[in-house]
Amino acid sequence: MKRKRSLSTWVARVTLYTVLLLGAVGMIVPFVWMLITSFQSRQESLSSTPIWSPQRLNPANWGAATNLGSQGGSSLWGGLEAHKTVKLELQFQNAPADWKPLAEIPDSGQSTDTSNMFSATSNSSVESRVIAVSTVGKSQVVTITNSGSSYFDNVPLRIIIPQNIELFSSSLFPDSRSRTDAGTVLEWNNISPGLLGYVLENYRSALKTQTLFGRYFLNSLITALSQVVFGLMVCSMAAFAFARIEFRGRDDLFALILSSLVIPGEMLLVPNFVTVFRFGWTDSYPGLIVPWISSVFGIFLLRQFFLALPAELFEAARIDGAGYGTQFVRLGLPLAVPGLVTYGIFAFLGSWNSLLWPLIITNKPEMRTLQVGLQAFIGEAGVNYGQLMAASIMVIAPIMLGFLIAQKQFIAGVARSGLK
Amino acid sequence: MYLLFSGFALLGTGLLTATGFIPNLSLIVPALIFASLVVHCAAKLSSSSWRVVWQASGLSAVLSGLIVAFLLSSWWTLLPGALSILAVFSLNLNTRALPKGAEATLWGWMLVFPALLGLIVWHFAPAVYAFAMSFLHDYKIINQPVWGGFENYLALIVDPNFWKSLLNSFWYVVGTVPIGILIATLIAILLNENVRGLGLFRTIYFLPYITALTAAAAVWKWIYNPEFGLLNAILRTPGFTWLDNPNGIFQSLASLFHLELPSVLQGPSVALCSVMVMSIWHQLGYSVVILLAGLQTIPKEYYEAASLDGATWWDMVRFITWRLLSPTTFFLAVTGLIAAFQVFTQILVLTPTGGVLGDTTTIVKYLYDKGFRDNNYSYASAMAFALFVLVVILSLLQNRVLAKRVTYEI
Repeated sequence: MKRKRSLSTWVARVTLYTVLLLGAVGMIVPFVWMLITSFQSRQESLSSTPIWSPQRLNPANWGAATNLGSQGGSSLWGGLEAHKTVKLELQFQNAPADWKPLAEIPDSGQSTDTSNMFSATSNSSVESRVIAVSTVGKSQVVTITNSGSSYFDNVPLRIIIPQNIELFSSSLFPDSRSRTDAGTVLEWNNISPGLLGYVLENYRSALKTQTLFGRYFLNSLITALSQVVFGLMVCSMAAFAFARIEFRGRDDLFALILSSLVIPGEMLLVPNFVTVFRFGWTDSYPGLIVPWISSVFGIFLLRQFFLALPAELFEAARIDGAGYGTQFVRLGLPLAVPGLVTYGIFAFLGSWNSLLWPLIITNKPEMRTLQVGLQAFIGEAGVNYGQLMAASIMVIAPIMLGFLIAQKQFIAGVARSGLK
Repeated sequence: MYLLFSGFALLGTGLLTATGFIPNLSLIVPALIFASLVVHCAAKLSSSSWRVVWQASGLSAVLSGLIVAFLLSSWWTLLPGALSILAVFSLNLNTRALPKGAEATLWGWMLVFPALLGLIVWHFAPAVYAFAMSFLHDYKIINQPVWGGFENYLALIVDPNFWKSLLNSFWYVVGTVPIGILIATLIAILLNENVRGLGLFRTIYFLPYITALTAAAAVWKWIYNPEFGLLNAILRTPGFTWLDNPNGIFQSLASLFHLELPSVLQGPSVALCSVMVMSIWHQLGYSVVILLAGLQTIPKEYYEAASLDGATWWDMVRFITWRLLSPTTFFLAVTGLIAAFQVFTQILVLTPTGGVLGDTTTIVKYLYDKGFRDNNYSYASAMAFALFVLVVILSLLQNRVLAKRVTYEI
């Protein structure tokens, strides 16, 4: 406390906090923007000025989303079950008395325009949704009915109105609004979304396009957990031997292992790939896991932890009749738990976040890890940044949650790695 | 030690065999030498007890047999190996009867063995293997290896893209490591000034580090988007391209004042600098946490003495903190240099094609393109080996230059 005297003036403190706050804002803005974009509709994300409060996060829209969702299916996830009807209420300005807007279901040929060439098929069994517009008092009500027995998880709607007529209010805010020669086009991705279906629209559609997302997640989890478990086993065994057993050739061997630190990782890429290829390990879990199990860093780090334990402890155990195996399992491992946690964190992060190695050795989509899947999605998503950000958030969420729960151990573990 | 080297010879030959360089039969000779040496050494260790000789030779026979089987056929042959190690673990009771030195040797080598095997197969042998591969002619795994002499190295020397990628990597290292460490040091020193909400600040600064690079790069790609990106909206520079901009950064700054710089002074491209900014953002929290831990180790007495002598805050930062923090800074510089040379993910996600005219293609991106896109493994190996030499030289230089400036106490 004493030594801070020189930075305790009022001006200095204000400057200090200003710098730190500005830095923190700079660090966090990408995350905030990622989160907000993931709730933006496509049109919102592609607007010329950044939109910080997307409609999907506006509680005023949540009631309507819930209500419409429960009309069609469930109040949480919406949908359109058999023989159910969804009613969307709209009010227009400058509309003539007997005027009705043109409503259609995109990509289905369903339209209220009777002159539409597709309308002939409107009652056929192929398409079992029927769309109609009726006037109730001042408002127009668009109804979409599921006349068949199949279930729709998504009910998109497009409404076209002449340019002189404006949308005054709508029970569910349209996802996009654009002006064309034919008039103003209002579009809803889903008029029966349900509460969660509405707010998490991008997440749902990202999962829908990336059908293997669950598989990627599983692959990443299996890879990371096995690397942690096997890595801890193998490295702690070696580390214990180097720290606590005086065996012949120990120091030479340790020097040799440390010397491999000068081999840069990129040099090993090609030969390791060739080895994996020869072993027939491409597109397999062993190929993803095994090359990364024994790590010089892990051995070195854990050795430091074993060295820091008092030697008398092991002497005493020895006198009491404990062999090296017992010393390692009963004494060394429990006392080196902080070290194991530290290396475990690094091994998990390294595996979960790695892109290059899985990218090289996986070809089949079902063997990709999350990072490879996300990298491919970045190429495919194009301008659909809402979906892309939603996918990114789903990729980082598990680690983020783990970090926020076990923050102290996490940061302490990382800090320890630098002190050794 | 000669046991160790013969083991290496065995595994080296084994790997070359497994990867199809030499016929399988040649494995038998080093395998026999290895096995007999193991038995010999074990017997020498304790001539007094036959039991040790028996155990050690049994173990060595099992292990060498397993290694050979592993290299000749497939990975699942390691399974009995793992089981046998577990079995020896259960010998725990018996080993106490051994002479002390023999027991230690048995256990030491047994515990080290799995890690050593992994390191040999995935670290040491590949290094040799990469070197060998770099002398082959257009090796694509499936074709028979054809000796090519120095042709890959000669091609490398005249390959302008290689030199360009080397230059890009150089700029990347210069732009991320020192600047990243300086910013992190500033923040760590400020955070160490009895700040309220230290935990919250630390969490926020640390957050990018635990974010997967792919996802982080995806956000930054969105932020850098020329038409709809957040950055252009904040800077009010609509339409400015960040990631597809091959203009040098110094030139871009100079053109604000309508100056034209000679081409050597134009600096790294704006695109590469954008990637660097993202990388610094991602790495900062790690450095801050390490530096904060380093700051805690500086004895408080130094500051008390200095403030009694009337030193200002800046004096203390300069003469005490900065100097006593140098071991930590050195650690970050060494690890940062190695990591920065390996940058790949950000480059691939932010600029999938490696930038306009390859102006964001760093050395690993180029190696990836050559090796895994064009399938020219021998050329990529030559590049990797050249890089290895470069990294060794740089590390030595770094040790020479920086290590001298590391202060452990005043």
